[in-house]
Amino acid sequence: MLKMNNISKMYQTEMVQTHALRDFNLNVEEGEFIAVTGPSGSGKTTFLNIAGMLEPFTGGEYLLDGIDVGKLNDNQRADLRNKKIGFIFQGFNLIPDLNLYENVEVPLRYRGIKAAERKRRIEQCLEQVGLASRAKHLPQQLSGGQQQRVAIARALAGEPRFLLADEPTGNLDSLMARQVMELLEQINRDGATIIMVTHDAELARRAPRNIQVVDGQLADFTLYQGNPNMAVGA
Amino acid sequence: MFSHYIDLSWRSFKRTPLVSLLMVIAIGVGIGITMTSLSVYHMMSMDPIPQKSDKLHAVQLQIMDERSSWWTPDDLPYQLTYQDAENLQNADLPYKRTALMKSGFSVHLDSDKLQPFMAVSRLASRQAFEMFNLSFQHGAPWSAEQEESATPVAVISQSMSKKLFGTDNSVGKSFYLDDLNVQVTGVIADWQINIKYYDLNNGAFNEPEQIFLPFSLIKAYEIDTWGNTNGWKNEDLRNFTNKMQSEHVWLQFWIELDSEEDKKAFGDYLMNYMQEQKKLGRFERTKLDYGLKDVNEWITYFEVVNEDNKILVALSFMFLAVCLANILGLLLAKFLRRAPEVGVRRALGASKTQVFYQHIVEVAMLGLMGGLIGILVAQLGLWGIRHSYEYYSNLANMDLSMLFAAPVIAITACIVAGMYPAWLVCKTTPSTYLKSQ
Repeated sequence: MLKMNNISKMYQTEMVQTHALRDFNLNVEEGEFIAVTGPSGSGKTTFLNIAGMLEPFTGGEYLLDGIDVGKLNDNQRADLRNKKIGFIFQGFNLIPDLNLYENVEVPLRYRGIKAAERKRRIEQCLEQVGLASRAKHLPQQLSGGQQQRVAIARALAGEPRFLLADEPTGNLDSLMARQVMELLEQINRDGATIIMVTHDAELARRAPRNIQVVDGQLADFTLYQGNPNMAVGA
Repeated sequence: MFSHYIDLSWRSFKRTPLVSLLMVIAIGVGIGITMTSLSVYHMMSMDPIPQKSDKLHAVQLQIMDERSSWWTPDDLPYQLTYQDAENLQNADLPYKRTALMKSGFSVHLDSDKLQPFMAVSRLASRQAFEMFNLSFQHGAPWSAEQEESATPVAVISQSMSKKLFGTDNSVGKSFYLDDLNVQVTGVIADWQINIKYYDLNNGAFNEPEQIFLPFSLIKAYEIDTWGNTNGWKNEDLRNFTNKMQSEHVWLQFWIELDSEEDKKAFGDYLMNYMQEQKKLGRFERTKLDYGLKDVNEWITYFEVVNEDNKILVALSFMFLAVCLANILGLLLAKFLRRAPEVGVRRALGASKTQVFYQHIVEVAMLGLMGGLIGILVAQLGLWGIRHSYEYYSNLANMDLSMLFAAPVIAITACIVAGMYPAWLVCKTTPSTYLKSQ
């Protein structure tokens, strides 16, 4: 489903070259729940941005559902991202001027889904995260945990095959973090593939598959369940 | 998506009302000033009679001797002598034509019903009405017999008819021009022209006359001109007859020529006419010359729209450019402040093109609002011109085309100013902002 072969990412300034990722190889199968861990600056977020096509990579090959991402132009990448990928960010990244309904609606509008269908999906997703009654609220009128649930609803609304979560519980207290984690696990059980970057070892242990990024490389992996050949460490 | 972009633009306007209002006012003032000068320029340069401007021709004859010269580019006097105007008017030619002269009288009814007033009048041939597309509301032009016998008759405008007699239809009624009693044969609709093209020598932007009299009355009643009289040689003019027989130029002459063949034939006629007159001791130059210019050539010849007007329009556009430069700065600040939100939208599937369009719609909306304010500012400017310079009162107006042009120019200008900020915000890397929000 997601396959990265020798992916590299280099940031270059006049003075210095920085390798954020190098010889990065990963194979993700449908329905997996992967926790990505590693020290700060190791390249976890860079990997997630490349996986979500938010950043170009410098070298290697990235196939998403068999599509060679490196050969797509910006519009094609945006379209693919919209249809196949949902994002959950540490800072929630809800648009402050839009109410919950409108926030969840954003990816659906870019996909050109008709109003009636949009309404059905939004209501369903807000129901799923337990915030249907708050549809007209603005993000700032909610707690952090609730905002993250809205972000999850927004990610789910497009019915993506991939959920990319960057420290989804990083800004939440332990109780809310647990609730959000349970929600992600439920979503995974419903069939979505999830890749979650986290610093929290306890949360990482709850994921069936762990991979570790160190110095821009897949240094190690720990597999609690499933097939060990799914991840290829450097 | 367009309606969604409009919605987002309106939300953006409400989110930063002060900056948005500042931009709208800047556009409004820029457009207002531009449209004020552009409207006046547009009215000045507009074809005053588009249906037949290429058919109506002003006639000029080179009456001066070799020692004299005129200040026109082709050295031809603007006007004709009375002799030539009368000869051309009475010539046996198949073309509609008219000699013209501006005059004026004290107008009254020889009663205490109406306060006497001064009015400018125009002496012309009966064909002038058809030539200049003047439509009769009541009655008709004076007859050929009345013209030949110099009968004191007149055609007046609807406004003049109301002013004199309190009615639209005053055919058959009489009024006085000084001591001359004239009878109304027809009432025409008020003549609405921006440029008084038929007599540019006496003020291009003056109001057209409202009283028209047969040209033959000039000789019969010794009616003198209220326009310019130009002499080019020393002549002893002791009375009006002397003036009519002199080489002074003080009349205009227009002829309607439907084709190039007609124009050439009439040109040949003029050359023959001058040859004949030469035998009588007139037209002393070795090389005879004449001018035959259509309406638009005539307007250009007189430099009705002069360089000053063009410079004024250019300056007003430069002022608009300054306003736009300020708007560009404000847009840059506003859009780049929104880069994190754009990052989120990009992550959720918006393409660069969609983000670009969203911002272009927003600047277009600002342009539309600025354009509407610009129309109000322009109306204020034109009102100011109308009340400060009565001479320009006909020109200081915004016609329908200018009314539509204002928002179009405003929107286009704003889109041009907004392209760079919109491009800048849409090309930002989304991941830069997602982590930092």
